[in-house]
Amino acid sequence: MQMSISESQKGEVVIVHLDGRFDAGTSGKVEQYLKTKIDGGNGKLVLDMEKVPFIASAGLRVVLVIVKTLRQDKAGDLKIAALQDSVRRVFEISGMDRVLKLFPTVDEAIADFQ
Amino acid sequence: MTKTYQFPADTAILADIGQLVAEASDRVGLDDTAASDVQVAVDEACTNTIVHGLEKDPSKSFSLTVEEQEDQLLICLRERGKPFDYDNVREPDPDAPLEERSIGGLGIFFVKQLMDEVEYHVEENGDKILTMIKKKA
Repeated sequence: MQMSISESQKGEVVIVHLDGRFDAGTSGKVEQYLKTKIDGGNGKLVLDMEKVPFIASAGLRVVLVIVKTLRQDKAGDLKIAALQDSVRRVFEISGMDRVLKLFPTVDEAIADFQ
Repeated sequence: MTKTYQFPADTAILADIGQLVAEASDRVGLDDTAASDVQVAVDEACTNTIVHGLEKDPSKSFSLTVEEQEDQLLICLRERGKPFDYDNVREPDPDAPLEERSIGGLGIFFVKQLMDEVEYHVEENGDKILTMIKKKA
């Protein structure tokens, strides 16, 4: 299974939609995509993970790198939305849910930027 | 039922491994959470082997033995890559604040956290064996 990436925009917020496994084989593609968004001046990012059935530590690392980059530069933030239960569990076991903003829906993640 | 598979050291095969592990978990009768735990742990173990042990060289390979037992699923990963100090991997702190979080170390942490039994040893011929067991609830 490959990772498909698409995006939409609502005001200043760019919503990046992932579709596929977020593992060591696909994490580089996601990281590159998000870094391109940041380099293009988009600091308010929502990661829509509704169609991500699986995440590995390689995926968590990408999320961590992007969040650190955005918060260090005070350029914005990355908010994580619509996690499937199995994926949420990985965030919880790693303790990442304590330092990241996780939202049940994309709309709630967008609203948190307001 | 026991099956042994050979895989090249290529991260593109992780999805295939995930699929066969999911099917084995289902046949053994693991519940959804346990099956998900096995998915993550096996993916992390294989990723470590592919990336660190075999340095993503697709001409090298590793084997995965999946043993479906009555009350548990046993998975054994065998490779002959770079030496690995399994017992002294620095584990991440799940309570650390964001700025202190390290980028690495989560893989083995997940293997140890998510499986019921984990054993690692190196055979005399240099083969490194990681055995992971998940029991039925």
